[in-house]
Amino acid sequence: MLHVKIKKAFPHFMLDVAFTAEKGITGILGPSGCGKSLTLQCIAGLETPDEGLIVLNDRPFFDSRQRVNVKPKDRKIGYMFQNYALFPHLTVQQNIAFGLKGKPKAEIEQKVAEMIKKIGLQNYERHYPAELSGGQQQRVALARTLIVEPDVLLLDEPFSAVDHYMKQALEQQLISFIQEHFTGIVLFVTHNIEEADRLCDRIIMYHEGKVIQSGPKEDVFARPVNVTAARMIGYENLFPVDSIERRHEGMVAFINGIELLVKDVNVPPSPLFLSVHANHLLFVEDDRPNTFDYEIVQTRTRMNHFDVMIKTEHFMLQATVAKKDWDSLLASKKKLYLPPEHLFFLQG
Amino acid sequence: MEPLNLFPFFLSLKVAVAATGLAAVIGIPLAYYLSRSRGKIADFVDTLTTLPVILPPTVLGYYLLVLLGRQSPIGKFVEETFGTTLVFTPLGAVIAAFVVAVPFLIKSARAAFASIDPNLIRAAKVLGRSDWNIFLVVILPLSWRGVASGLMLVFARALGDFGATLMVAGNIPNETLTMPVAIYDALLAGNHRLANALVMIMTVVSVSLLYMMKRVEKRMIRGDGSHAARKD
Repeated sequence: MLHVKIKKAFPHFMLDVAFTAEKGITGILGPSGCGKSLTLQCIAGLETPDEGLIVLNDRPFFDSRQRVNVKPKDRKIGYMFQNYALFPHLTVQQNIAFGLKGKPKAEIEQKVAEMIKKIGLQNYERHYPAELSGGQQQRVALARTLIVEPDVLLLDEPFSAVDHYMKQALEQQLISFIQEHFTGIVLFVTHNIEEADRLCDRIIMYHEGKVIQSGPKEDVFARPVNVTAARMIGYENLFPVDSIERRHEGMVAFINGIELLVKDVNVPPSPLFLSVHANHLLFVEDDRPNTFDYEIVQTRTRMNHFDVMIKTEHFMLQATVAKKDWDSLLASKKKLYLPPEHLFFLQG
Repeated sequence: MEPLNLFPFFLSLKVAVAATGLAAVIGIPLAYYLSRSRGKIADFVDTLTTLPVILPPTVLGYYLLVLLGRQSPIGKFVEETFGTTLVFTPLGAVIAAFVVAVPFLIKSARAAFASIDPNLIRAAKVLGRSDWNIFLVVILPLSWRGVASGLMLVFARALGDFGATLMVAGNIPNETLTMPVAIYDALLAGNHRLANALVMIMTVVSVSLLYMMKRVEKRMIRGDGSHAARKD
């Protein structure tokens, strides 16, 4: 278990975060410049926080009160950099062996040979990084990191330097390699929600140097705690709530003078907002609560669906309609339905 | 016909070699420090090390004369400890050449150090290497062309210094008379044979150095490709 609680101030930026990470892949998600990479550098000992605590299991790496600050070389942390940071003047073999300095020569040779076999780069031992493809470079960087058997693996945007169409294949490769050869804690920094969704078990969401939400990825994506978190993970339908009322069939939220039935009973402190994901809006023919007459204001064509902007008498919202449902939607007169089980409250 | 007195040539060679060595020892760490720091102290050091390029050599020589002369604290200390004066000796010529030439090394080496991806240094740290080891194994190998080109520039500049050397070391024949000063003296004395010979030597050495630097820099621009092309 990695426990991090650190502060570091800059003239126009303040990093102030606290989180714990367990075994498995934890994603640190946030826009660029929100302090993600800085956090990794503090964990690795490359930057020193102004105050706080970094503890791995029972080993303190940094403790401002006890004046503990373990040097990077003694922390045993694996760090894969955004551009892989392979030494351009060293061969594949020399790069992979870089962290083993001081070990007996026979041991180094054996370990490096094993590792090169694992990443499938036999015959490339004497090549230089510039002669390798992006994917091969990534494998060398990972091998160089894992050969020292670290307890924590830090991955800083590992796919930002990769062509879009290569990405999916590389993601699969990297994750299965890590799952096969590494059993510790992985911290994975990314600004890409889909990437985080595909690769991580848990998510820590960053915004302007602070953690705004963390937890298992399903929970975080299904239930953002506030408007900032919701916007970051793609919720566009956010309505300020005027008041709420508890009734026997559930909660009722008043928005712009209309009533909406909501199954959610967790009401955070005000300012209170109500949200529903564009994917969860339905179109129905019968007349039930939470249905509204609507017109389509704008349509954007995506690969497999349409993003439509919808206007009712009282509000606007964003809906996703699958291409196969499009014709039937236009064919008959339907009403927009906001399913009460998919409406949830969040803080403004 | 009396034989040419080539003492100035050999003295200049020795002075230039010594000044280059001194520049390497002092200039490279200074360049490294400047490539890593952004503070006010770094700005001050930067200004101070660039000054010799801007100041007229005679002004620079005058300052050195005041700073190192027999009445100055430094001059007194050296004279009492080592029994030799700094000014009007070959040692003075070395110091003058060093001060005039070292900015060129600092500028070139600093640019080379600064162009190294900081993630490479971070990676080496995380992989357990000490700062000194990182300097030797990562930083120098990746910037040696810039450093080498700077050293050649220092050598050429040290070999050809006139003004500062004349002020600090003087022109005592067979003692402190370096080549550029000797050329001037020979011309004044009407010894065209000596002047021509020394001018030829200086020109050949300078052109060869410049050519070598061009070669090194060309490979530097090709960058990482030169590593890939190397066959061991």
